[in-house]
Amino acid sequence: MLRWRPSLPDRADAFPIRARGLSKRYGRITALEDLTLEVGEGEAFGFLGPNGAGKTTTIRLLLGLLRPNAGEAIVLGKKVSRSVAWRGDVGYLPGDMAFWPRLSGQETLDFLAELTGRPATARVGLLKRLALGAAELTRPVRTYSDGMKQKLGIVQALQCAPRLALLDEPTKGLDPLMQQAFYEIVTEMRRHGATVFLSSHIISEVERVCDRVAMLRAGRLVTVGSVVQLREAERRRVVADFSADVDAAALAHFGEVKVAAPRHVELLVAQSQVTALVARLGMLPLADLLVEHPTLEEAFLEHYR
Amino acid sequence: MIGVLFRHHVRLHRMPLIPLALGLALFEWMMTFVAREPSVSNFLSSALRAAPPQFLALLNQDLVATVSAQGIIGVGYTHPFALILMAVWAVRVPSAALAGEIGRGTMDLVATRPVVRGAQVVAAFLALLAGLTVLALAAWLGTFVGLVGRPLEGVTPWRYFPVATAMWLCFVAAGTVGILVSALAREAGAAIAWTSGLMAGSYVLDYAARVWPKIASLRPASLFMYYEPQQVVTAGLATSDVEVFGLVAAVALLVAFAAFSSRDL
Repeated sequence: MLRWRPSLPDRADAFPIRARGLSKRYGRITALEDLTLEVGEGEAFGFLGPNGAGKTTTIRLLLGLLRPNAGEAIVLGKKVSRSVAWRGDVGYLPGDMAFWPRLSGQETLDFLAELTGRPATARVGLLKRLALGAAELTRPVRTYSDGMKQKLGIVQALQCAPRLALLDEPTKGLDPLMQQAFYEIVTEMRRHGATVFLSSHIISEVERVCDRVAMLRAGRLVTVGSVVQLREAERRRVVADFSADVDAAALAHFGEVKVAAPRHVELLVAQSQVTALVARLGMLPLADLLVEHPTLEEAFLEHYR
Repeated sequence: MIGVLFRHHVRLHRMPLIPLALGLALFEWMMTFVAREPSVSNFLSSALRAAPPQFLALLNQDLVATVSAQGIIGVGYTHPFALILMAVWAVRVPSAALAGEIGRGTMDLVATRPVVRGAQVVAAFLALLAGLTVLALAAWLGTFVGLVGRPLEGVTPWRYFPVATAMWLCFVAAGTVGILVSALAREAGAAIAWTSGLMAGSYVLDYAARVWPKIASLRPASLFMYYEPQQVVTAGLATSDVEVFGLVAAVALLVAFAAFSSRDL
């Protein structure tokens, strides 16, 4: 059981993250363009996008590490550029985890908790969940494997029981067992009302953990919505098996034929076309039919193709 | 938060501080032994009289003052060995504190805590001051122990306290310029290169301006013009020199504060 302090939602930060027209340019390169986004209290929000889409830039703008060229970020009800006190309620796991190599894990955690200015109430529970023992913590961080560094990174981000956690690629380098432990930690955090903003390449992870997802491409927000909505908004996958040879080309006007074998056809079809397609398939020697929502991964790939 | 960051810097850099301090103390202690040997004084006296003026300019010494026992001990405070040991700290700590943290990636961990950026600049400055204080005191203690253990007629260790203070002030100013460089850089390597280059350039400018009259007017631009141990031994710390060091440090600190507070990390 993690010792998390109860969330104290108020009107000021019913949306712990608000970004309005947030833009960031590096010379002529636009890293982020006009991002407007709200993340609600207690929500787990996934942030997806290919490399260079602007995910890390967004997180760095939200944390005040970067200054926006336009727009503003409001975190926990405070303008990011105006104050720093709100950061005591935020936990951040960077995408590229780096520590002071000569400090031990224990010294690192103590130092960062002291800087946060709040007791590390969740540390013991997190260390236990992530199987980081006292022996490991007394060793210098330079002797840690990548996985251990990632675990230490998760602990430093969450040890003071933040109300908002910004996690950039949180399961990078973790084995499946530790990934599972991490998902349980996120679930428990949310039970205590914490908000989680999770950037990831692992779509199944986002699908598993998050309520809503935003997809970013070339610095622009492509889509935002609940995982279910996104999947529903995408084309259905229709898999049909036949008892005799059929001409798949005759089905092409219903959607995109992905697989065309004499007795096996797979199509991506808009929701509005599904009824008509099923009716047409009924006229063919149909042996088996499967109509399914795309996975989030398929939805993701469709957006970025 | 400044205290937490200050202790962090001390923890990261305390190990190199010990050999630096011991090296300085030992060196200044040895200078008190060199100074008491009449054969050394005589040798130095005749060697310096025969030396070209460019060499004397390098020593930045008054000839008559240098060949006295008091002067030889003073040389210990302008000797490149002592200056390099002081410079190691004045370059290392500022470069590591800001640019080094950014380059390593650990700045993300610090700057996302409720710490104003100015506090990071101040903590780096305090760590610089603390280390330089230890080093300047170690240098003076070397002189003190040497002279108390085997007294030299007419030479008291207390005369070298202002000299150590002048050395401290000179490197506080140089190190604060290092903090400014670090506040603008993205990696420790670049900050180290720039800060070392500026210090070496300042030292060379002081020397060149003394031996080459055409550029003599540029000498005030060098910090080392205001650091003259032999004069400090005989006349004490000059207020104008203290003011220059103080002004350079204050301006560099303020600009570093402004630059670091408004930059992208």
